[in-house]
Amino acid sequence: MTEFLQSTVYGLLQGGLLALVAVGFSLVWGVMNVVNLAHGTFVVLGSYVAWQLNKSAGVDPFLGMFAAAACLFVAGYAVHMLLINQVIKAPIWMTLLLTFGLELVLINAMVLLFSGDFRSINTGWAGDAIALGDVRIPYGRLAGFLVAVGLTLALVAFMSRTRLGLAIKATGMDRDAARLMGIRARRVYATTFAIAAAMAGAAGAIVGTVGTFSPASAPAFTLQSFVIAVLGGLGNMWGALAGGLVLGLVQSWGGQYLSGTLVTAVAFGVLVAVLIVRPAGLLGKPYYEARVET
Amino acid sequence: MSCHRLTTTGVALCALAFTAGCGKEESGGVVKGDTIKLGAALSLTGQLAREGQLTKEGYELCASRINEKGGVKVGDKRYKIAITYRDDKSEPDTAGQLVDRFNDEGIKLVLGPYGSSSTEAAAAVIEKNKQVMVEGAGADDKIFEKGYTQTFAVLSPATQYAASMVKAVAELAKPKPKTVVFLTADDGFSKTVTEGGEAEAKKQGIKVLATESFPEGATDVSSALTKVRGKNADLVLGSVHLEEGIAIIKQSGELGVKPAGGFGETVAPPTPDFVKTLGDSAEGVLGSTQWVPQVKGEDKYFGTAADYAKAYEAKYGRDPEYHNAEATAACLALALGLEKAGSTDTQKVRDSVAGLDEETFFGSIDFNEQGENETKPMSVIQIQGGKPVTVWPTEQAESELRWPAAG
Repeated sequence: MTEFLQSTVYGLLQGGLLALVAVGFSLVWGVMNVVNLAHGTFVVLGSYVAWQLNKSAGVDPFLGMFAAAACLFVAGYAVHMLLINQVIKAPIWMTLLLTFGLELVLINAMVLLFSGDFRSINTGWAGDAIALGDVRIPYGRLAGFLVAVGLTLALVAFMSRTRLGLAIKATGMDRDAARLMGIRARRVYATTFAIAAAMAGAAGAIVGTVGTFSPASAPAFTLQSFVIAVLGGLGNMWGALAGGLVLGLVQSWGGQYLSGTLVTAVAFGVLVAVLIVRPAGLLGKPYYEARVET
Repeated sequence: MSCHRLTTTGVALCALAFTAGCGKEESGGVVKGDTIKLGAALSLTGQLAREGQLTKEGYELCASRINEKGGVKVGDKRYKIAITYRDDKSEPDTAGQLVDRFNDEGIKLVLGPYGSSSTEAAAAVIEKNKQVMVEGAGADDKIFEKGYTQTFAVLSPATQYAASMVKAVAELAKPKPKTVVFLTADDGFSKTVTEGGEAEAKKQGIKVLATESFPEGATDVSSALTKVRGKNADLVLGSVHLEEGIAIIKQSGELGVKPAGGFGETVAPPTPDFVKTLGDSAEGVLGSTQWVPQVKGEDKYFGTAADYAKAYEAKYGRDPEYHNAEATAACLALALGLEKAGSTDTQKVRDSVAGLDEETFFGSIDFNEQGENETKPMSVIQIQGGKPVTVWPTEQAESELRWPAAG
């Protein structure tokens, strides 16, 4: 029983983090129809920003997180204006090719800048844990989970309560109609992409604190984001949260009750099973399926 | 075939040729003028970029040192060594293809790639082409169970990685641990390491309570740790790479896994990143390594292990890791083989390498039938005061084993 509770707690905590890693990926895919294969590198870049701040100025990574988000926001905006925007109307293969290329360039740039060494952001407190009987809840992961869920909820509120959020949604539904209504699609897209990158950057800071990272970790984050986005339903922020929690739990339980080597197979098995029953994902709505493609 | 003709054949073919670096090198034989050409396909980008780079440094140091000393004396002629590097992108298949291309270009003498997977892929091609490969970064026994005759590893075999730590605690730890659990990554190499460790534990009368696995490259090993937590073993041994090794220590702290004796992990603790990343929680962790600067033995090119460490520090400005040393040792073994053969003929070099029995800065190099260097023991280190300190075998020990290691 203790083992079950422990793995459930761990799975939930991990799932919240995964949700934050994936939420931007899902947003960009849902709104812009761009599958951003460079998303994982944004996460790792965020880790490096927080790591650098921690190393040179002793900034706690949970503060460094904001700096990481800000840096990535600017970087994301620039990347969109300079690159993604050039192919936004091209077939999806072009954006795949472009973002894949971008990923390779960024990974190798990080290898040059920071070397391929494994890093982790050390804090005095994140590795300690609250013990509830035999079940332990690590502070760092708990804080990460709370921040991740908080940011995801903030994004949900932003998308449904603010003019900009609504503009993003509207542009996602029908780009041309939105432009006719006076929405500047280019800027809205760039802002969406920047928000996604900022969320990834914030996630990177936390991931880098509770775990390890190196430039080579980036593709794994992209893959996880892909699974979570599809699992939860594209473009749906609640979906990303649900997808992240499900994936976290499945991986944790899978590792606990099956052979540890089957974790990845189990995660993808769940994805396939969900898609058979609900092709639009857990919380996917016909809304996104029915939108007008240009 | 020139790149130009390929372009006309088709865009796809040319792209392939371009990525493989077409037009960069001309083909030539093993020997060009007074230079012997060696080939090395290394992970310069991709997941193993770090280790690939360390391996490259080891090869570079070997070539530059040998060339400074006038080169390799083959018969009555002295040859310089020139190494052609290609990037296998951390993909074993690519490593195999690159080795095949070396053969097409007449490069018959090859230095190994980084890692058992790439080495295994390369070894199959080496065998087919009757090239010769000496390597220092593929220790999986699997590579040497296929009856290959052209591949040689200067390393202690994989079965020794965890077994050496079991031997060390059985010999030195007071009280001697009674029970052990193994945590293992699920790649072939790590599994072989674990099997070797389990066998040695049985031999030493230490009871194996459980063996749990996780995927290679995992940064979350909480499931395996939760499963072994209730066993309360005296010793927790991990067959891991750096990232999993760091995760075990980090998450053991989070989950409250506290063995009465301590933790031991293959390959991770001796790397500087281990202490840098974990800080104080790295303290007391045991590790096994192919090489430490306290290894006994010396050779004419590099002197003792301590001399090697100094030479490395002078060239790269930091202390050498065992990855560097094993790469240099592989290159050195090939050079010594060339000298003893007195010829650059591939098969003569092969026979001469197979017959080597030399003391070097890396310890003894003496290959068995399969091409493994069985005579060399591994060294066991313990993190003491934030630094890896050699504690076993006793003739290399810088300090005594601290036991219990944790707290």
